[in-house]
Amino acid sequence: MVGIVLVSHSSELAAGLAELAGQMAGPGVAIEAAGGRADGGLGTDEDQVKAALVRADGGDGVVVLADLGSSILTVRHLLERRANGHVRLADAPFVEGAVSAAVIASAGAPVEDVARAAEEARDAHKL
Amino acid sequence: MPTSSEVQVALPAGVDLHARPAAELVRTAMRFDARIVVRHGDRQADAKSLLAILALGATAGTTLRLEADGPDAPGALEGLAACVAGFA
Repeated sequence: MVGIVLVSHSSELAAGLAELAGQMAGPGVAIEAAGGRADGGLGTDEDQVKAALVRADGGDGVVVLADLGSSILTVRHLLERRANGHVRLADAPFVEGAVSAAVIASAGAPVEDVARAAEEARDAHKL
Repeated sequence: MPTSSEVQVALPAGVDLHARPAAELVRTAMRFDARIVVRHGDRQADAKSLLAILALGATAGTTLRLEADGPDAPGALEGLAACVAGFA
């Protein structure tokens, strides 16, 4: 199954979203959080993101969602150096995109479909 | 040969179409090639879109109308009706 990596400035935000998405997707989907700096402060740590990508990758690809600003830049910078379509950064809202992607991944969908499910969340209404 | 069909199914008592049941419905829908629409009141959603299903706001005891279009439409409706009826 496609894995999911959640990159946030906050370790609590990334971990909480991984828990929520994991509840909905079930145990089959690897959902890995990469939040905060190595010293525990708010920020993005490239090494943490790299490690999360490795943990999430079961061979079918990885979809990455990031919260804001520098977390997006960090992921883009990482992926530019290893661009092969196997790992996709989704242009999607963090919470809705992650939950949507995780559920679609849990159905065994390929990486393109999981990324699309995340990006469709841009147009989703809540009410 | 493509076929189109429709069934109605009620959400069981005590089960709103919230996060986990909605995810279960989407996973079931994804097993089929058919295009599947879930209608609730005057709203409709693609059965393979989690966020669209959540936005239906369907509550326990209300009726969902499922429409499927495609070669495996009958099986899709049977599978989804069983999925919804089995929510607990």
